[in-house]
Amino acid sequence: MEFDKILVPVTGTQADDEATRLACRLTKKNKGKIWAVYVITIKRSLPLDAEIEPEIRKAEGILDHIASVAEEEDCEVETDLLQAREAGPTIVDEAAEREVDLILMGVTYKRHFGQFSLGSVVPYVLKNAPCRVILYHQYTP
Amino acid sequence: MYIIIIGGGKVGYYLGRALLDEGHEILVVEKDPNRNEFICGELGSVCIRGDGCEVATLTEVGTGRADMFIAVTGDDEDNLVACQVAKHKFNVPRTIARISNPQNETIFKKLGIDVTVSSTNIILENIEEEVPTHPLTHLLTIKDKGLEIVEVKIPPDSTTIGKPVKELSLPPETVLSLIIRKQRKPIVPTADTILQAEDQIIAATTPESEEALRTALRGS
Amino acid sequence: MKVVIMGCGRVGARLAGLLDIEGHNVAILDTDAYSFRRLPPDFGGTALVGNGTDEESLKKAGIEEADVFVSLTQGDNRNVMAAQIAKYIFNVPKVVCRIYDPLRRELYNSLGLEAFSPTTIFAQMLKEKLEG
Repeated sequence: MEFDKILVPVTGTQADDEATRLACRLTKKNKGKIWAVYVITIKRSLPLDAEIEPEIRKAEGILDHIASVAEEEDCEVETDLLQAREAGPTIVDEAAEREVDLILMGVTYKRHFGQFSLGSVVPYVLKNAPCRVILYHQYTP
Repeated sequence: MYIIIIGGGKVGYYLGRALLDEGHEILVVEKDPNRNEFICGELGSVCIRGDGCEVATLTEVGTGRADMFIAVTGDDEDNLVACQVAKHKFNVPRTIARISNPQNETIFKKLGIDVTVSSTNIILENIEEEVPTHPLTHLLTIKDKGLEIVEVKIPPDSTTIGKPVKELSLPPETVLSLIIRKQRKPIVPTADTILQAEDQIIAATTPESEEALRTALRGS
Repeated sequence: MKVVIMGCGRVGARLAGLLDIEGHNVAILDTDAYSFRRLPPDFGGTALVGNGTDEESLKKAGIEEADVFVSLTQGDNRNVMAAQIAKYIFNVPKVVCRIYDPLRRELYNSLGLEAFSPTTIFAQMLKEKLEG
């Protein structure tokens, strides 16, 4: 499989690193482009353009880390920090706008009320994505 | 403006869509998960699932920073409570409630709701305007002054035709402001203006004097 | 005294029965006539089908002469609305209502309604029982 434009939504988990490495390998041959995006979700109690400093710092830290992971792979990523009410629709919109041919997401094993859960963002993206999607599931023994 | 809408039925959905088009930030609160999904699918992430009367839900959606709060569920009591919670707990400057039972209009006003919209009354008003034989049509209500602007048509069999305005026994607080005659310019009536058949008279009056005004203009 | 009760559930019917035995003039409203089966067989008050948020039904139940109004339907909002109509439109001297949601009860208490939350009361009671 080869791709020219890949969108990698990141959240700051270990799975992000592996997803980024995988994206690098998948674009290497075609010298494709990779965007890593982090979405800051803003609570309704705040206006959408609120600047939450700690969140922004955290997100910038994560994106810097992703850039360094890509560098190790000899690959360049463009990073983007987005602010929205909900992550799912934002990722889908971003993918459509940049006309990517793949969304590559890393997911970790999560439990919600004692049961395995993918959360709400991953199912939303799978359902609404305008392109192919690869989920990288981090194995945590 | 940040506008919160309680109730994602047809009214809530179309209202939300119209307000979005006007460039406002909106949020719809809806109990039903299917309805919720429908609205998010159509309008984007502007709908959350919850009970719009619950303090916890209203805190979560940031009611404290809302400029306007509109409750349009199908139940009058839910709309009342949602608006009261918004007003008294979150100090929202403007609350609007949809009501189904027109009787509730006065009750809601008395209980502090800023604006009520009664679809029953709106339809009634439209019928009044559409039906030409209807004796008196409400054109405008000036709520804080307790005044209304009405239109009265003089039917051909009216006993007041041919009489000057000064001979009419008009009720207090009532002013005839304009007479519209067929194929003529509107005229401002004076004491000596003579009434003619088919005259349309625009008058300012109070709700209490409405009936007396109608009788004075059309004869009994 | 003259009492109007809205909602003939278990609590409403029982309260109506108790007040009736003590010789009070009781009128009880419910939207469903079937609910009146819960009233004691020898109930001497008036049972009326009607909605307690409707002025006409309240007048029929004698709200204008009532000393007490109690709203006990299953809907918090209906109880709140009826209680406010009784208190502010008909000026009933004593108005009591049930609000299950503790937060909503708190709000309406601060707005001057005498309201009880069975949720809070029962949870507190259970806790005290458990702690001995």
